[in-house]
Amino acid sequence: MQGRTGVGIWAGFAAIMVWCLLPVVWIIMLSFKSVDETSAGSPQFFPQDFTLANYGDILSDSDFTNALINSFGISLIATVLSVIFATFTAYAIARLEFRGKKLVLSIALAIAMFPVVALVGPLFDMWRTFGLFNTWPGLIIPYMSFTLPLAIWTLSAFFREIPWEMEQAAQVDGATSWQAFRKVIVPLAAPGVFTAAILTFFFAWNEFVLAISLTTTVDGGATSTGARTVPAQMSFFVGPDPFNPPYSQLATASVVVTIPIIVIVLLFQRKIVAGLTSGAVKG
Amino acid sequence: MVLLSSALAACGGDSGTELIWYTNPDTGGQAKLAEKCSTDDYTITTQVLPQDASQQRIQLVRRLAAGDTEIDLMSLDPPFTAEFAEAGYLADIPDGLEQKLTDQSFEGAVDAATWEDQMVVAPFWSNTQVLWYRKSFVEKTDLDVSQPVTWEQVIRAADENGGKVAVQANKYEGYAVWINALFEGAGGRLVEDVEQGADATVTVDSPAGEDAARVVEQLASSKAAPADLSVSNEGTAVATFGSDAGAFMVNWTFVWTAYGDDPVSKDIGFTRYPRTVEGEESAPPYGGIGLGVNAATESRSEAMSAVECITSPENQAFYANDSGNMPASAAGYDDPKLRETYGQDLLDLFQQSVEAAAPRTVSPYWSDISLSLQSTWHPPSSVDGQTPGQSADFMSQALQAERLL
Amino acid sequence: MSTAVSPDQRSTTRKTGRQARSPSTERSRAENRLGLKLVAPAVVLMLLVTAYPMLQALYLSLFRYRLTNPDDRQFIGFDNYVTALSDQLFWQDLWNTVVIMVVTVAVELVIGFAFAMVMHRVIFARGVIRTSILIPYGIITVVSAFAWQFAFSLNNGFVNGWFSWLPWIAADTNWFGDHWHAMFAIMVSEIWKTTPFMALLLLAGLSQVSEDMIEAAKVDGATWWQRLWKVILPNMRAAIMVAVLFRALDAFRIFDNIFVMTKGAQETESSSFLTYRQVIEQFQLGMGSALSVLLFLSVLVLAYGIVKLFRVDLSQARGEG
Repeated sequence: MQGRTGVGIWAGFAAIMVWCLLPVVWIIMLSFKSVDETSAGSPQFFPQDFTLANYGDILSDSDFTNALINSFGISLIATVLSVIFATFTAYAIARLEFRGKKLVLSIALAIAMFPVVALVGPLFDMWRTFGLFNTWPGLIIPYMSFTLPLAIWTLSAFFREIPWEMEQAAQVDGATSWQAFRKVIVPLAAPGVFTAAILTFFFAWNEFVLAISLTTTVDGGATSTGARTVPAQMSFFVGPDPFNPPYSQLATASVVVTIPIIVIVLLFQRKIVAGLTSGAVKG
Repeated sequence: MVLLSSALAACGGDSGTELIWYTNPDTGGQAKLAEKCSTDDYTITTQVLPQDASQQRIQLVRRLAAGDTEIDLMSLDPPFTAEFAEAGYLADIPDGLEQKLTDQSFEGAVDAATWEDQMVVAPFWSNTQVLWYRKSFVEKTDLDVSQPVTWEQVIRAADENGGKVAVQANKYEGYAVWINALFEGAGGRLVEDVEQGADATVTVDSPAGEDAARVVEQLASSKAAPADLSVSNEGTAVATFGSDAGAFMVNWTFVWTAYGDDPVSKDIGFTRYPRTVEGEESAPPYGGIGLGVNAATESRSEAMSAVECITSPENQAFYANDSGNMPASAAGYDDPKLRETYGQDLLDLFQQSVEAAAPRTVSPYWSDISLSLQSTWHPPSSVDGQTPGQSADFMSQALQAERLL
Repeated sequence: MSTAVSPDQRSTTRKTGRQARSPSTERSRAENRLGLKLVAPAVVLMLLVTAYPMLQALYLSLFRYRLTNPDDRQFIGFDNYVTALSDQLFWQDLWNTVVIMVVTVAVELVIGFAFAMVMHRVIFARGVIRTSILIPYGIITVVSAFAWQFAFSLNNGFVNGWFSWLPWIAADTNWFGDHWHAMFAIMVSEIWKTTPFMALLLLAGLSQVSEDMIEAAKVDGATWWQRLWKVILPNMRAAIMVAVLFRALDAFRIFDNIFVMTKGAQETESSSFLTYRQVIEQFQLGMGSALSVLLFLSVLVLAYGIVKLFRVDLSQARGEG
């Protein structure tokens, strides 16, 4: 590590901060502009008249709030299930020797690269037949499939580092195997599982192609649930003026869906970086 | 699960059936009508479809093809009526109601609502376009707007006096509306023998096609073209027209109330849609909404009575006052409040335009026709004398599914 | 980096592996069974949602089949493929996709490397910088697309105002009005969102390069440029290749940005978008399936090409010994 902090580094630091934050600040500023201001055209960066009205409108728009519920519900369920399945798989890959290990990894790799769009046709047709179209499971199932590879890799990278001998050592010291597992292995494995969960959640929260293809409504009326998530809802968002995109309201919706991401990033910055780069550097 | 839902349905029995009405976005008028037309037997609730007409079609077809019974009523854009009817998604309108709707509605509205001699949607409101102009701008020019004007005159007047002509020329359905109106205004058709379905005869490569292409080319290459011509839609056109350079605009009826208290609203004049060629009557675009009933609905008779209520002339007038979307019937136009807002001259112009309006080709393949136009005529600056020929080849192949759209 | 596996740990894993592999002992058979049981749910789920639909797509691609006209469904062999492959739109969209992929990955690699160098050297505010760089990574692509669409917007964007001193930007530049401007806007959104991912992967690679080697090169009188090309980059090869492979395949599937920003107008459509439109917007299930198959094959060819070209050993690179 060279400790010199030259002008170049300072400039680079500033460049990174501008790069990362300028568009975020822009969208926040846009969310403070009134609908009238953007309809009339408002090319300046900062609002002429600062208003919070858009936040009130967006949060009282039941389509948006229901889409938020869909997004949270679908992403969380998909994350939990995916991480559970991935934990089994990663444990087997890291700990056990069995035939077909290479094949499992190849499948996971292939699916990570899979062009999701290629599936919307057949999945639409299948979900129509099974009654899964426009339902939560209709999105949760494919989300699980597409997040499994990421979760499996991240977890197997973490699991490989766990000194599993300690489990035996604990047993030798008189602990039951359950105690050994709970007291020794779980604390060691938990950070990895947690990291995998964050990355999985990000994927599900961000997913768009399937969300617009396999859903049509945020809520299907009295007797059925819709499944449209926030990204899809935003892309079909209609403001008070049926002909103009509601710039400032879309910006407001953007800010609202970004808040959970920022909270997660602030809390778990180290874990995310570790997870993203796990395994990428070896070889 | 089944038990639970039937129990729930039984609980809800007191307030009657729930009818779900999928509406195109408006300023809330359809939701008000839903409330107004709910009875002791049924409650109508609304779900709003996306803004873009093509997206509305997509959302509905996907659900209808999935056999969805959660849709009872739907607000359909006229060009997609034939496709929905052909696919069997629309319940036939009972004879009594059909007779009533035929009697009250404009002829164009009935034509647009009919597929294979059966009325499949109920004409709810009828839209049309007129030429809007800025009075202060026209005063500066030598254009006589009391006489029928041609596109050529309008573009030249704007070009020579530093004004803009606002149209809809983004790559979307609205651009096909404009092109179709130009064709029809030159006495042409996009497609003949539509009953042949995919084997219909494409007649884009025709004198009318050349006339239409000339208008688009003239506007796109003149200074009268707005900077955002290639991405313009109804909304951006309103903004362009309201700006300092605003001069002319073709747009739907809602424009009259779109500027609110803005000073521009005092400066708006209107006249019949411009002619494509000198000496030939113009054919304003036809738009609007027809109400369809899902063939798979479990409450067809309730849905039909709801349709009858919503499309009654009084409610058409109510809706027109609320949304700026004009009635589909002469009786609907006969409303004092409407007269007060729009003035008799403008209402007369609207009615006259609807009666003269040319619908987009009534065919289950309209979306293919429209997309072919969009593929070959966009951006407007690329349109020239070759365009109709290329467009015709493209469209013929597209209808035969030998071309990607 | 907490996850960097030290070589000795890896070798212990290997050793245990080898011991367990001694043939057909009861223990190894039990382990084999347990392994299969543990991976089964994930494998079944992954295949259920990919392999089976892909086979169905293969089958449907041989039909002319329009959802709104199901009675007209008709077996036509490979006609859909012939139509697609002889259509100019298919190649135009593939070209767009490749242009977007090559340009975005190249730009991300350069900027990402610069960011990684800065993050590697910076000794203050490391938490701040990492948190900031994760924000574009975590933001929904649709939000990024909206943010940039609005920034480039004619009536509501700041870009024209801020950059009109540049000779090719005017106050009324219509960014979504022609092909290259629109492509530029789409690529800006894509690059903005994904450069942080690239930077973090490269940072991880950079931290593996031994400082001693760099020092040694410095003592030998190598210039900064020589050190970069002769020492740093060769030692980061694996990290760079993995980053390029994953980003390239990701960029090849570009969809969200195009959907939000242009809907494919101005010939900015990508292969993914074309496939989506045929299936979901035009209900051409036959043709759409054929395009799905072609898209899948393109990705296979691309992945194979990159792996062969750069000789990336994925199992090694991903640490799956």
